Amino acid sequence: MSEFLELEARDGVRMTWNVIPGTKQDAASCVVPVSAIYTPLNPNPAIPVLPYAPLRCRICRSILNPFSVADFGSKMWLCPFCFQRNHFPQQYSAVSQSNLPTELYPECCTVEYMATAETGPVSPPVFLFVVDTCMIEEEIGYLKSALAQAVELLPDQSLVGFITFGTYVQVHELGFGLLPKSHVFKGTKEIKKDQILEQMGFLTGKTKPTTGVITGARDGVSAESIARFLLPASECEFILNSLIEELQKDPWPVSADQRASRCTGAALSVAASLLGICVPGSGGRIMAFIGGPSTEGPGSIISKPLSDPIRSHKDLDKGSAPLYNKAVKFYEEIGNQLVHQGHVLDLFACALDQVGVAEMKVAVERTGGIVVLAESFGHSVFKDSLRHIFQSSDSDLGLSFNGIFEINCSKDVKIQGIIGPCTSLEKKGPLSSDTVIGQGNTSAWKMCGLDRKTSLCIVFDMAKKDAPDAIGQSQNNLFYFQFLTYYQHHDGQMRLRSTTISRRWVAGSGSVQELITGFDQEAAAAVMARLVSFKMEAEVDFDPVRWLDRALISLCSKFGDYQKEAPSSFSLSPRLSIFPQFIFNLRRSQFIQVFNNSPDETAYFRMMLNRENVANAVVMIQPSLISYSFQSGPEPVLLDVSAIAGDRILLLDSYFTVVIFHGITIAQWRKAGYQHQEGHEVFAQLLQAPQEEADSIIKERFPVPRLVVCDQYGSQARFLLAKLNPSVTYDSDTPPPPGGDMIFTDDASFQVFMEHLQRLAVQ
Amino acid sequence: HKTVLSALSCPACSRQIPIFPSIPVVAASMSRPPPPFTPQNPTPAPRPGGQSPSSTLPASFSNLQISRAPPPFASVGPPQGDGPVPSSIRGPQAPPPGARPFPGSPSPPGSLFACPAPSVQQSPPFGAPPAAQSLQQQRPPFNGPPPVLPAQVQRAPFGGPPAASQPLPYGGPPAAVSQLAPFGVSPVAAAQSAPLGAPRYSAAQPPQFSGLSGAVSRPSYSGGSIPPFGAARAPSQQGPYGGPPQFGGERPGLQTPLFGAQTAPASQPPPFMGVRGANAPAFGPPGWQGQTRPAASSEFIVKDTGNCSPRLMRCTMNQIPCTGDLLTTSGMPLAIMVQPFALPHPSEEAIQLVDFGEMGPIRCSRCKAYINPFMRFVDQGKIFICNLCGFSNDTPREYLCNLGPDGRRRDADDRPELCRGTVEFIATKEFLVREPMPAVYFFLVDVSMNAIQTGATAAACSAISQSLSDLPEGPRTMVGIATFDSTIHFYSLKRAQQQPLMLIVPDIQDVYTPLQMDLILPVSECRDSLEQLLESIPSMFENNRVADSAFGAAMKAGFLAMKPTGGKLLVFQSVLPSVGTGSLSARETEGRSNISSGDKEAHKLLQPVDKTLKTMALEFAEYQVCVDVFLTTQSYTDVASISVVPSTTGGRVYYYFPFSALSDPAKLFNDLRWNITRPQGLEAVMRVRCSQGLQVQDYSGNFCKRVPTDIDLPAIDSDKTIMVSFKHDDKFQENSECGFQCALLYTTVYGQRRIRVINISLPCTSMLSNLFRCADLEAQFTYVVKQAANGIPSSSLSQVRDQVTSTCINILQSYRQYCASVSSSGQLILPEALKLLPLYTLALTKSIGLRNDGRLDDRSYWVSIVSSVSVSLAVPLVFPRMIALHDLTSRDDEDPLIPNPLTLNSENIQDNGIYLLENGEDGFIHVRNAVNPATLEQIFGFSSLAGAPNLLVLEQFDNVLSRKVNEVVNEIRRQRCSYLRLRLCQKGDPSGDFFRSLLVEDKAPGGLSYVEFLVHVHRQIQSKMT
Repeated sequence: MSEFLELEARDGVRMTWNVIPGTKQDAASCVVPVSAIYTPLNPNPAIPVLPYAPLRCRICRSILNPFSVADFGSKMWLCPFCFQRNHFPQQYSAVSQSNLPTELYPECCTVEYMATAETGPVSPPVFLFVVDTCMIEEEIGYLKSALAQAVELLPDQSLVGFITFGTYVQVHELGFGLLPKSHVFKGTKEIKKDQILEQMGFLTGKTKPTTGVITGARDGVSAESIARFLLPASECEFILNSLIEELQKDPWPVSADQRASRCTGAALSVAASLLGICVPGSGGRIMAFIGGPSTEGPGSIISKPLSDPIRSHKDLDKGSAPLYNKAVKFYEEIGNQLVHQGHVLDLFACALDQVGVAEMKVAVERTGGIVVLAESFGHSVFKDSLRHIFQSSDSDLGLSFNGIFEINCSKDVKIQGIIGPCTSLEKKGPLSSDTVIGQGNTSAWKMCGLDRKTSLCIVFDMAKKDAPDAIGQSQNNLFYFQFLTYYQHHDGQMRLRSTTISRRWVAGSGSVQELITGFDQEAAAAVMARLVSFKMEAEVDFDPVRWLDRALISLCSKFGDYQKEAPSSFSLSPRLSIFPQFIFNLRRSQFIQVFNNSPDETAYFRMMLNRENVANAVVMIQPSLISYSFQSGPEPVLLDVSAIAGDRILLLDSYFTVVIFHGITIAQWRKAGYQHQEGHEVFAQLLQAPQEEADSIIKERFPVPRLVVCDQYGSQARFLLAKLNPSVTYDSDTPPPPGGDMIFTDDASFQVFMEHLQRLAVQ
Repeated sequence: HKTVLSALSCPACSRQIPIFPSIPVVAASMSRPPPPFTPQNPTPAPRPGGQSPSSTLPASFSNLQISRAPPPFASVGPPQGDGPVPSSIRGPQAPPPGARPFPGSPSPPGSLFACPAPSVQQSPPFGAPPAAQSLQQQRPPFNGPPPVLPAQVQRAPFGGPPAASQPLPYGGPPAAVSQLAPFGVSPVAAAQSAPLGAPRYSAAQPPQFSGLSGAVSRPSYSGGSIPPFGAARAPSQQGPYGGPPQFGGERPGLQTPLFGAQTAPASQPPPFMGVRGANAPAFGPPGWQGQTRPAASSEFIVKDTGNCSPRLMRCTMNQIPCTGDLLTTSGMPLAIMVQPFALPHPSEEAIQLVDFGEMGPIRCSRCKAYINPFMRFVDQGKIFICNLCGFSNDTPREYLCNLGPDGRRRDADDRPELCRGTVEFIATKEFLVREPMPAVYFFLVDVSMNAIQTGATAAACSAISQSLSDLPEGPRTMVGIATFDSTIHFYSLKRAQQQPLMLIVPDIQDVYTPLQMDLILPVSECRDSLEQLLESIPSMFENNRVADSAFGAAMKAGFLAMKPTGGKLLVFQSVLPSVGTGSLSARETEGRSNISSGDKEAHKLLQPVDKTLKTMALEFAEYQVCVDVFLTTQSYTDVASISVVPSTTGGRVYYYFPFSALSDPAKLFNDLRWNITRPQGLEAVMRVRCSQGLQVQDYSGNFCKRVPTDIDLPAIDSDKTIMVSFKHDDKFQENSECGFQCALLYTTVYGQRRIRVINISLPCTSMLSNLFRCADLEAQFTYVVKQAANGIPSSSLSQVRDQVTSTCINILQSYRQYCASVSSSGQLILPEALKLLPLYTLALTKSIGLRNDGRLDDRSYWVSIVSSVSVSLAVPLVFPRMIALHDLTSRDDEDPLIPNPLTLNSENIQDNGIYLLENGEDGFIHVRNAVNPATLEQIFGFSSLAGAPNLLVLEQFDNVLSRKVNEVVNEIRRQRCSYLRLRLCQKGDPSGDFFRSLLVEDKAPGGLSYVEFLVHVHRQIQSKMT
């Protein structure tokens, strides 16, 4: 396992199968697809940054890498992907065995190129705030202070724009010194880019060209007209602050039995077009702060009367959410527009109610946006997350823009697609498989926004159909993969990160053991989670539990060690042993059991799943549980109800929530105030330890998780209980031990699950 | 010089009507110092016969301020039928129309003209330069029986001092008339009477005709204390428009008359309206039993004794034909001109306000007519008979009152609704569909590139800013402002201590208001910030490069902001609206080529281009939004299309072409200020009722009509006139009366809902000659002008001109055929009352609206003003007034401010002269070549015309001439309620040619000379008769 982590640390890649089933048949029988979870901007200080342009293969355009065989005598190198021999150009003339360019060092599988000459002037990042004003005064107050803080933290050179919306959309002109000035758009109808171009005076003095879209400073929009709306943060801080200070509740009256009229769709559409006109192609993000459901105009998710409830999963399943599909389509178009322009949509949805994250998901995910879901703008989940975005620290996000992600790989490997925050560029080539998953049909993707944690799940397809015998296990049984990420670094420079890896492939019936050694069960869990989530959204009448169960059974049948029809003989290699538990927890997780959550929450969870790396995904699937007690130091314990004890403190990290759970005895002591008394310092430390751990988790994580501190038998304890394996329920034969707990559920426990698995696997 | 008119009620109801002029009153006035114009005022000798015993004077009259002077010819209107009607059929017993000879008139044509044959004893030429006179005095050669009165010799038929000694025969027996001997004066006499070289119009003695009857000549209040716009009356609670008088003169510290901002104040604001001075008789003598109204252009004072002031309502004929056939035969139109808020003379009694409380005004239960002095109470007052429908109504118990011996109610004189032709009632709940609206003023200012660069925006902002203090006081006065180019910019002013917020509405196809509230605020809350904003708007848009202007969309957006309340939308527009809803295209280029090629469809360019703006306007009107458009432009703006909006919503177009940042801001400001301060009403509905026998045929003016009977006026003001035409649906009995009642339900700017009821009752006649004798020339001509204007967009110009000419010919022919048939067919015989009709008709065919050359916009603008123009301004608009400026210094201070007008004839133009020609809209100053540079220097401050701007700013310099010129100009402005746009016309320049073209008596490329025209008319009549 640890070797996988090392590889990940170096290259940011985790593969489900590090020994690859080499043929289509083999791959199919392996159940878990050959796939990689790649973190393009995986932070690794060891990655060299090369101040020159990469050397590319003249046929396949792949980049010179440590797997390229260099012939120093003839100054040639062999491309491992297409086997083309290429000449070293002039600047590589000095290359020799002792004088290797950095990209040929074997340990430099991942390098970055930063060719200054090519990039031209640094274009500063653009932040366009889109702020909902249909909120109660209290929420507006919270939002104001959060925004004011964000404005303070904005990098000086970054460009800022400001849009507010309610019934109408107001685009504030920051560059107009005399009066506060804003352009007001009706929320009830969609506003196209052409209209914005014309109506907001970008064409003044020019005749509109009949063909082609004119946008950006280079293409005819004057810098002055852009500078009306987007100003360097340092220049508009005052007016921005006064705008934020004067934010008011949307003045249009709302009757008591109605929802506020909120035109989120129109506002986002205006924002997208504004960025498209002003700064197409350069990094920019729309940061939308939304306090409720969209009720007005395009993209509205619910009608205004409060008597109509907001759609639930059940409504979506039954097709009784009349506005859902229309809204999704609308936001998809906005997403496409943003992708085309290279801009990001971030969503800060802070309301007790749903706001339509489920509908907007498509736009956020395609553009690689950030999403934060909280109950209120006053909640730390929102406030701290927002601060996290702008604050530079060790764990900052390293927001980068305008990424283009490309893959080269050996010709027997094809790409089905990517599940993750990106959009297919529809660059169909020999590498793209006919079977498509997620964003496919291409070998290049757009990643408008990406950060150091953004992780893509790439699903491969083995193209080789030959019988295993025919394959000479001869000279080359390696597959090569090259991931190229061309992006605008958060300092503004364009960079190219190249990661090239190789994996051995095997084929034939005798390769099972080899395959097992290469199985990364964490990565597999993460991939399965993404796949099943994707299929739940994409496929009608998809039964995720059944699908997962079948997959698990097939996998165990293939790789398990057992005698037929003898469940008790069943055992799994350590390489696979935790995988059933992952699947068990995945079946119970929020990704599958959606009915406990609103569509917004589900969308949120899935978006996070789809952008996080393996480790975080695993935490989402199977929370970690740490026990603190006098008896021992902090130790991980089974995610089981039996972990609960009166004298224990449990720290549950389910990624979105961090729960500190005081056993009943501990809670009583704490309430008695022993921790403040002399002679009980150890108790105070015991109380303190999980708190510190939680803090460190919170500090590093984005979005900031929700911290729940609770006591055994308290109402908040449900946050823990819901995640635990119900090994003891009200139905159990044996009551829980004193100080222990039980769970009121009919769900099967892990033990039952395993029994069934064993029985089915050996059939 | 003024004459007092006392509007006597109808003879039929004579029981109700007291007899007027009272001796005490006379005596009182005698003791007063002589009026300034004494020299011209004959010493009035109270005519014994005319006096009624003072005891009969109704108490309510006893303290009338106006009756200070004795009536010069206090003609007691004898009851109808008291004397035989002087028949004019036999022949014109002509009054000496020729009171004013024109020196230098063209020599008479060879044709034989009879001079105007007046049927009325002596209708003095209305004060303007009736060219007809010029003919008369040249008339010697013709032996027309309608003799020219040797006016000079006889001291004029009317009222010179000598006449004063002889009681004029108003209403008297014909014998009296004959004493005057104007009739039948032989041609010889006429010859004698050609007093060439006599002083021009002033030769005529100030006629002392009293008004209808019982008129009292009034003392002068031109003494200087009178504010220009007649706010002399104090009673604020009775103010005609529901509040303190708003005219400029009243404001403390503001001595300048309304239009005085740019020029020096007239030191003595002359009295109100009318031709000042004695140059011409103010109006004709009471033609026939007090049925003739004074000429609209004259100065007179009305005493309301049952019939309304002719200012408010005026009929084209002062006797109503009994049958439709008679009317058709006469060729004359039957219509009334209603100007419900017409400015009163400062000396006139205010319109009284009557509150019936919960009960509401008494109305006829059948026709819903309002109680008025002509309703008869019978059966001890228990029953009243409607004068319009004849229905007998039970008098409500609360309203019962016994009748006096004269048959009138005993309380008639104490109840304004029973003794006044015009009263106002407080509206009860049944007249309210909602709370009376507040006075809302929303300003829309064009800030497109052109508007900014020409200075139009700055001018508009400055005008608005200065006018803010003129808005009605009180918490109910609200303002809002927006600017627009290709987008619409609203301003939210409700931000205490903060700068206003600018909200841009960019969607000009589907507009909306950016906020629901805070766009329109009480002026008291936002005055300061609004002023600041107005100051900064021009600089804010200084570098605006947006050339497009979304006029229609901006109006719509402004409308949406005002929709909940209604109000006045004042739009300042500078270019052709090129984008957004209701955008227009430059049709003019197309139009020009069409016109030159003689396209018959050319008039289509004078129609609105499509229905968009009309639809919009109807919606505006529905929500009580009145639009006024100020066009400060330098190019074609399609006035034809734009003017649809104001004309449908009760507003008007103001046109400043070509806009000059130098001279026009002053006019813009004054126009805006007058627009705001003039008496006006909001959310009004008007209906005119008339006696059975007639029915309303049509309304015409600036309003919106949804149902056939009523017209909706989002706003109505003192400048607007509505023409109502009638047709017969039955016969009248001879000696019966026909009543007209105009009821206007409106809200004052202070939020009170009222009904203004205006009554007039006219006798009916079956004698054609009576119709001619009692014809009201100005009203009839106004009718003709309005009809012509209506026709311009739908027919070709030549058709309209032919129509106008044939109307004139038909009338004259009817007269010739039926009333003067004995005359020789070689004579052109004109009815006295209508003797100026041919001249006016000629002028009309040469007017801006009907002439062939000229810009489309000018013509459209002309059409748009005419649609609401009042009687008193319609004539000058077509037939301008020309005066000489260069010799003003030769006039005494005692002389009337405005010198006598010259005839519109190039022979009157001397080479060393400077002339001002004004039509109520523009003032054209024509400087001749040989003018003394010193004179030039004195008036204009420059001694050479080279390089002088076409648009003048008249400054006052420190010299007498300059002072006098300014006085004259200001006086004209005051009279016209309009700030003349002064333009310099130089010879050899297109402007000079234009000036020449306004001299309507001259032969012009596009028209006949006056003499030729008369010949033409004569021939036409002859050919028709044979």
